[in-house]
Amino acid sequence: MSLRHAWIRQRRALLSALLPVALAGALVATGDARAEYADVVINNYSDAAGMRPVIFPHWFHRIRFRCKVCHADLGFQFKAGGNEINMVKIIDGQFCGACHNGDIAWSVENCNLCHSAKPGTPTQVHESTIQKLAIQPQAGGQK
Amino acid sequence: MMTRRFSTLAACLLLSATALTSPSFAQNDAGKAVYDKVCVACHSAGIAGAPKFGDAKDWEPRIKTGMNALYESALKGKAPAMPAKGGATDLPDADIKAAVDYMVAAAKGGAKPAAAAAPQAAPAAAAAPAPAPQANPAALNFNRLLKPASKRNPPPPEDGIHDPENDGTHALQPPLTVFQSLPRSNAGNRVDWVKALDTNQIGPRWDRTDPTAAPVVMDLNIVREVKGSMPDVVYPHKQHTAWLDCSNCHPQIFIPQKGANQISMAAILLGQKCGVCHGKVAFPVSECRICHSKKKNVMPVKNAQAN
Ligand code: HEC
Ligand code: HEC
Ligand code: HEC
Ligand code: HEC
Ligand code: HEC
Ligand code: HEC
Ligand code: HEC
Repeated sequence: MSLRHAWIRQRRALLSALLPVALAGALVATGDARAEYADVVINNYSDAAGMRPVIFPHWFHRIRFRCKVCHADLGFQFKAGGNEINMVKIIDGQFCGACHNGDIAWSVENCNLCHSAKPGTPTQVHESTIQKLAIQPQAGGQK
Repeated sequence: MMTRRFSTLAACLLLSATALTSPSFAQNDAGKAVYDKVCVACHSAGIAGAPKFGDAKDWEPRIKTGMNALYESALKGKAPAMPAKGGATDLPDADIKAAVDYMVAAAKGGAKPAAAAAPQAAPAAAAAPAPAPQANPAALNFNRLLKPASKRNPPPPEDGIHDPENDGTHALQPPLTVFQSLPRSNAGNRVDWVKALDTNQIGPRWDRTDPTAAPVVMDLNIVREVKGSMPDVVYPHKQHTAWLDCSNCHPQIFIPQKGANQISMAAILLGQKCGVCHGKVAFPVSECRICHSKKKNVMPVKNAQAN
């Protein structure tokens, strides 16, 4: 516990000393439950198609596969929404369909395991720096 | 089974055509679209001192300088941290101006931060059961920045992005059921993935189908000297090549030559260089010491080494 606090204090000291503006308020906690780190919402087409947007959980998949499998072998670009995935490609065995084919993982008919986001949730990777490095300018000099 | 699969899909695709005409989401004008895509990264929360979206106080003195001055700043950039066109230099001037108009209107409209959060932070807003707009009691919380343990790694139905009304949501695995047995860390998933892999607590496949395939791990450290008092950065190929292919980084993100790449914290914070992964999927940027791990000489405070 005290280690934790020491760590936090140390980190805060570093932050304020070194990158006061950019980093000062680094982790704004709203107090609300937040998405799991690295969950990717993909919503290029889903909303418009009347489906819930897709949520891809990195934590779940990286327990089973190294990054290389998806990001080198299967060609997923490092960009949320950047792969123009659609159901035709998936059924054709590309992207998610390389595994969600009833062979390596459950197949495509389980629509609502993938299409599980609240309607309207935009495409993004959750809990990212950009999402979290939120500082109120007036709080810039806090602490 | 195939046919059923296809007919469901076909039905959905048909549905989609009709869904298109009923705007479930307010159709954005150009300004909002550009804002949501580009400017939001800094202006939604006020990164690096950017005037916050919808915050009248932040914008008032700037609006007083006149719209032309604001257009100018947005198009050409403004020191120290406002990039020309917000970094989206390929966008036409008119779109950038429209984004400025949109931001100024939001500020003038007196949109309170809570309301202003809506256009860009739908998930966060949705996450809030009832975002108390004004006298937010959360402001009085003992820990403002530290996320309480109970709010970490929430199960899917409570994480703010999964739809609890979707039955599939409840079939998904809550992260903590797995994480509890893995080595913990201070941030990100709060799992020490490097350790989990080293100690064989997880065995992620290196090949989609062949469980016996193993990576060729390359043990090559690259030390990057850092100006100032921050410890130097040690970039380890070992931990990276255990997860990634050389082609994931070379040559697109890094030219494979020591010192050939310009790397700065600003770039990392904006999701470039190391920030392509760190702060998105790999451990986040808040963990300074994992990267800045090499003390300078003997005395960590000795910082005369400004080269
Ligand atoms: C393995 C995960 C997965 C499963 C299972 C899945 N989808 Fe998708 N689906 C996706 C992804 C990813 C996209 C792209 C999302 C986006 O960009 O909006 C998508 C997009 C769509 C789209 C819009 C794009 C298009 O192709 O028209 C529709 C409609 C759709 N899915 C319907 C379905 C239906 C119906 C099912 C069940 C039969 C289903 N999906 C099952 C992952 C999945
Ligand atoms: C099972 C497949 C899979 C595995 C394994 C996987 N990813 Fe991903 N990754 C994805 C998908 C899918 C996306 C979203 C792509 C999209 O939206 O089109 C993604 C997106 C990303 C992004 C982009 C986020 C952004 O928008 O900036 C990064 C970075 C990333 N992954 C890194 C990693 C790293 C690092 C690992 C290993 C620890 C990893 N991924 C493992 C499938 C995978
Ligand atoms: C990388 C972060 C970043 C991005 C992205 C960004 N801004 Fe800014 N912006 C800033 C900062 C920081 C300032 C404050 C500059 C100052 O006055 O010190 C600023 C200030 C401004 C101002 C006020 C300028 C003035 O003269 O007072 C306008 C207008 C503006 N930005 C428009 C935009 C628009 C439009 C976009 C998207 C196309 C955008 N910004 C994207 C960081 C950013
Ligand atoms: C490299 C193979 C692979 C790829 C590619 C892949 N998955 Fe998976 N996925 C799996 C495996 C294996 C499971 C576990 C299946 C099981 O539990 O039987 C899984 C499970 C899931 C789950 C359920 C997680 C849970 O809590 O049980 C979701 C949701 C999911 N995948 C979504 C996606 C989406 C969306 C994509 C494409 C963007 C995708 N997957 C691409 C292999 C993959
Ligand atoms: C996560 C990203 C990443 C991966 C994956 C990666 N590298 Fe690198 N590599 C780097 C970085 C960063 C540098 C340092 C560049 C600099 O100092 O400007 C580097 C430097 C190098 C260098 C130059 C060394 C020197 O002394 O000049 C070589 C050679 C190299 N990498 C080969 C590889 C090979 C081979 C693989 C796959 C087995 C690989 N890298 C995987 C990030 C990566
Ligand atoms: C392509 C994605 C990617 C890029 C780019 C990348 N990393 Fe990593 N890095 C990872 C992954 C994945 C891990 C495994 C740990 C994790 O996921 O948190 C890791 C682990 C590390 C570790 C080891 C942590 C430990 O516990 O031993 C260090 C140090 C590190 N990265 C530093 C860097 C630095 C410095 C750069 C930029 C020069 C960089 N990384 C670029 C993906 C990346
Ligand atoms: C993912 C790895 C990583 C993490 C995490 C990280 N840094 Fe860095 N940092 C770097 C790299 C790489 C450089 C560039 C070193 C060089 O000049 O070659 C750097 C440079 C710096 C510099 C020198 C000035 C500049 O902007 O380039 C400072 C100061 C700094 N970091 C502070 C921090 C602080 C404070 C934290 C924690 C909030 C932090 N860093 C977290 C990798 C990291």
